[in-house]
Amino acid sequence: MAWVAAGSVMVSDWHRSPESREYFSKILHKKKRRKFGLLEAPVMPPHLKADIVRYKVFLSGKSGVGKTTLAARLAGLDMPNIHYETTGMETCAVFWPVKLRESGRILFFHFHLWDCGENATRRFDHMLPSCKEHADAILFLFSFTDRGSFEDLSSQMSRITEPSDRLVRLVVGTKFDLFMHTDVTERDITRFQEVLGVPVFRVGGDVSGGFGEIAPLLNALAENLWHQDCMHTSTSVPTVPSNSGHIGPEIIV
Amino acid sequence: MLQSQSVQLLCLTASSGVPLFSRGSTKQLPFSIIGSLNGVHMFGTGHDAALSCCETEQGGHVLWRVFHDSLMLIGVSSNANVSELHLRRLLENVWNCMVLVLGLDELANARNVERLKRELRSCYGLIDMLLERGVDDRDQGLMGDLTHCADCILLPQPDLIQDTLESFTRAAESSPNVALRLLCFQLLPGVIACVLCGPRPSLYQVENEQVCRFWSPLAENLRSCLDHAERSSLSPSVSLRRDVLALLLINRESRRSVTSLSTKATPHLSPARRWELLRLFYTFAVTRYFTSEESPSSECPTAELLHEEFSSGFTHLPVHCYLVTDECKCYAVQTPQHQLFLLTDLSVPTFTLRSVATHTLDAVTTATGF
Repeated sequence: MAWVAAGSVMVSDWHRSPESREYFSKILHKKKRRKFGLLEAPVMPPHLKADIVRYKVFLSGKSGVGKTTLAARLAGLDMPNIHYETTGMETCAVFWPVKLRESGRILFFHFHLWDCGENATRRFDHMLPSCKEHADAILFLFSFTDRGSFEDLSSQMSRITEPSDRLVRLVVGTKFDLFMHTDVTERDITRFQEVLGVPVFRVGGDVSGGFGEIAPLLNALAENLWHQDCMHTSTSVPTVPSNSGHIGPEIIV
Repeated sequence: MLQSQSVQLLCLTASSGVPLFSRGSTKQLPFSIIGSLNGVHMFGTGHDAALSCCETEQGGHVLWRVFHDSLMLIGVSSNANVSELHLRRLLENVWNCMVLVLGLDELANARNVERLKRELRSCYGLIDMLLERGVDDRDQGLMGDLTHCADCILLPQPDLIQDTLESFTRAAESSPNVALRLLCFQLLPGVIACVLCGPRPSLYQVENEQVCRFWSPLAENLRSCLDHAERSSLSPSVSLRRDVLALLLINRESRRSVTSLSTKATPHLSPARRWELLRLFYTFAVTRYFTSEESPSSECPTAELLHEEFSSGFTHLPVHCYLVTDECKCYAVQTPQHQLFLLTDLSVPTFTLRSVATHTLDAVTTATGF
């Protein structure tokens, strides 16, 4: 699937506009990111109603590339300061407000991030299928300090996904701050984007927990997921909206 | 108690002494010392002597423990505040956490050492958490790592939560006989529902359907429980005497415990210090007097029974004990069903400690039915 150019579906850099302040304040608590339990969601006052759309996102990548750290970074959780192999599977929730360009409508994207330790996937056959079950997007991770993890990307992408899967695929390069030790050059990245037609995002370094570093990635994820659903609904029979507590994108388009 | 700074944990294969991992202290022990620690234990085994613990004059400890004739854990502590009981519990907890993650079979019948080494890495996060216990404020008041009892809070109206928990576990097909997965759901920050279950239903299904279905109606209820638990794990119907600083109550049959810190200000003893004193007093009481809690297991004869002549000089088991320090007074009561460990203010006359303790025990058990 071709990817959507930044800003074509949603207002880019919306988190910088004064209009967005009230929405972003709902995902903050005492100037840090608010931690949401499974029973919680941002609640807006009635005149600023924003629907919540839910997506499952699987983080894939070699052991040690930084899947858990990326999840923590996106969700605003405390980042582990030393590397631990993830014991089994971990999920976390990220809420992200966006504004649709055409309708001006505001939505909260709820990304449900799934992260799984590599040993666990090897030991237990049910782990990988369970991560992929109902997934709407996969983030393929590599580390800028580990060339092997970059070279493994394309085989990894073909190994765990089928071309026919209805999935948003994005690539994220982690530990970009350690550019002194980088094993992957800009030329490698450009070539990779051209050949595979998948955008590459860079993260690492920002420990302040601000939105600056994560906004491009979360916005791209939101735009591509939204676009994917629009394409799907326009080519298939619309499904009857369910009333399961959230509004699916199908009924808004 | 900055344990992680002073406790080092080593894991080796029991038969060949191959090091599998080392955690804890930032400065690793040199390989030659690890070899000697293993060698001295092996020497004992060869002469039909079980080496379980040794102590230095400065209060440091080395503790050996072999599990299932397969793996050996060695705990090394240079900190006199880390008791032998503490270290022993630590080794047991680490072993149990390895069993939780990898399964007993994998550990007891390890065939490929290199593979085991790699797989043990997924336990490091949990092991380091056990080593760092007590460093973090959020652990305060939790004693399970030391007492091996489940830390509980007693809620004013537990029925609704109990019913919901039961329906939830039924829906997740939880049955202890097929414990393939442990699923933990963070309902609210600070509230986690855990289910042991088999291969079905999938995590996605439980998280997206059942969690909301069962727990959403209770969100407010859980929030008020959180507020309550922050203050005390006892229900509000229990009023403690003003001069009680802290208590630990254990139900010996159900292996459950509750703790409480008095909310009345005691400026000279911080909450952290009171929790620490409670742990130290518990250790003191169960290793010297209430030794029945420390029943010798086949694998590890308890060290107390080897060198503590005091209690073995009596034909009875003590049921009360007390200790007066320059910070507080401590009293412990043991009945067939309960153990109570109590810290009081220095102002309480020593001769009344006994009645303060027995009244507190009565008051708490009568009001809560714990």
